[in-house]
Amino acid sequence: MSAPLMEVRDLSVHFRTRRASARAVDGVSLEWRRGEILGVVGESGCGKSTLARALLGLVAPTAGEVASDGASVNGKTALRELRRNVQMIFQDPYQTLNPRQRVATIVAEPLRVQGVDGDHDARVQRAMEDVGLDSGRFLDRYPHQLSGGQRQRVAIAAALVLEPDGLICDEPVSMLDVSVRAQILQVLIELRTRRDLALLFITHDLSLAWSLCDRLAVMYLGRIVEHGSAVDVIERPQHPYTQALVAAVPVPSAEARIREPLSGELPDATSVPSGCRFHPRCPRRFEPCDSVDPPLLAAGSDGQLAACLLHDPKRAPDAVA
Amino acid sequence: MSALLEIRDLHVTHAGRPILDGVDLTLERGEAVGLAGESGCGKTTTALALMKLLPGGFEQTGTMTLRPPGVEEPINVERRTEAGMQVVRWRHVSLVFQGAMNSLDPVKRVDSQIAQAIYLHERPASAKDVGARIGELFTTVGLTPALGRRYAHELSGGQRQRVMIALALACRPSLMIADEPTTALDVVMQAQILELLERLREQLGLALILISHDLGVLSETCDRIAVMYAGRIVETGPVKEVFAAPQHPYTKRLLDSLPVIGGSRELAAAIPGGPPDPGDLPQGCRFRPRCPYAAEQCLEDPALREVRPAQAAACHFAPWAQWPAAHEAAAEGAAG
Repeated sequence: MSAPLMEVRDLSVHFRTRRASARAVDGVSLEWRRGEILGVVGESGCGKSTLARALLGLVAPTAGEVASDGASVNGKTALRELRRNVQMIFQDPYQTLNPRQRVATIVAEPLRVQGVDGDHDARVQRAMEDVGLDSGRFLDRYPHQLSGGQRQRVAIAAALVLEPDGLICDEPVSMLDVSVRAQILQVLIELRTRRDLALLFITHDLSLAWSLCDRLAVMYLGRIVEHGSAVDVIERPQHPYTQALVAAVPVPSAEARIREPLSGELPDATSVPSGCRFHPRCPRRFEPCDSVDPPLLAAGSDGQLAACLLHDPKRAPDAVA
Repeated sequence: MSALLEIRDLHVTHAGRPILDGVDLTLERGEAVGLAGESGCGKTTTALALMKLLPGGFEQTGTMTLRPPGVEEPINVERRTEAGMQVVRWRHVSLVFQGAMNSLDPVKRVDSQIAQAIYLHERPASAKDVGARIGELFTTVGLTPALGRRYAHELSGGQRQRVMIALALACRPSLMIADEPTTALDVVMQAQILELLERLREQLGLALILISHDLGVLSETCDRIAVMYAGRIVETGPVKEVFAAPQHPYTKRLLDSLPVIGGSRELAAAIPGGPPDPGDLPQGCRFRPRCPYAAEQCLEDPALREVRPAQAAACHFAPWAQWPAAHEAAAEGAAG
């Protein structure tokens, strides 16, 4: 098997403030394979966006390693090479486009930044086609003349113009309306099929992650607490946190549901609880949970991992899920 | 007993363009109605028109009658002057906005903002009573009263939304309008706020108009739902009925475009195009250009009519016994 498109090993990103250190990402190992759609889900503040930014060197890791194609990403040249190969789009298409540039300039910008030779116009045209925007109609427009969905398409076109192998999408559709988001998702799925583009999806929308992703990592307070195929993780969650997250998803259905929302809020990343970091909110905690920090353990289906002592046969009480 | 709120034939125009076009809405005491639809369909405009908070340049016509419990004469909102509305807002109808951070004053402690709302409506209130009431309000919305001493930036997103709800409850209204109250929050916080809204309805007999583009949120919180498209209600009925058997193609497509865990992982075809510009509405049914089932009849404007018990839809072809498979296939082709 070829090396994964990107990989992080024991990655930590800590932000130091005057009084404390926030452990935004705290010992994460993860593989993003070529051509796959990998999802990273969790609540606001769990570290999923910081992880994405660390992949592209937009924040410096405190410890651990980021690798691309099997080689560690070290130094400016490697980083420049990486950013040509892996691009990123963000949540808010209203803030990411320069309001004073025309679409043609915005989409061509990465080519200029990376010093790419050759016919820029042709590549811009192709990127516009890929996202389903008519070049003739849109290249001369300014961002304010576009709808939210069109802006996000332009952002994707600018990310595609370098023909990358991977695209990191940080909540790409959470600000868009239902029908527009379906259109954007269709564009992304087609790109993966046609160009074999790998997607890294950062989202707090579990239904979306479930339907879109091949594999899924669930983050809680800077750690991956569950990992496996998207179907396994969402339909048969093995970590009590994932179970609570899935239970909290509102479902448009005719059936009334009884919900038990998780109480409390995500603790501050400056005061990570001892032992399992989820234990203060966990409905199934038992004796060693406040002192033992659980590693990722095999749980549930093949290849599924959960960082929970319930899955440690030596420790767990009989009532294993 | 007559309805708490009756909106009849509400029209709103801006520079001659129709933003709302004949909206009717009835709400019983303690009932929760959800307004669904995409940006620009008129959900928020309906709420603002009811509060008479539309900015200059908007014209509204139609009748809006409120009958709060304990008030003898019905309140004819449409006839109220600005001074008259100030008595209605907060006291009878309150509004919780989407961006909780932006609606709280950053330089005032949150409890003093609630106190201000109470003093405005109840002149003779004593400081002691007001303090006790704020404590009660905080407990009601699930916050420790000590948090009242904080400033907005010292609270989390979920806590701020709870403060906004406490503020909305300060003058004991009988109707609360919540405009996308959980959109900026993630799933866990969203579930907590929705549970709070449910509890408030039970405890206080509060009626609720919940505005959201998220059909899942509405399905869990509301008794009835009204789906809006291009300034009109295109379908309305009990939440369960509408979700089990939608009768307007727009509702059907909206429901299809949401992945539901445990259902099909295949993403349904997107609804092609976007909603029409209010200045350039299509002839006949406003959904016609995007509708996979459109036919010649659709050039005539369909009226909102009862098509199943308690369920109304503005579609010539309703009630739909079943959605035609051939048309579905054609639609997928058109969208892809």
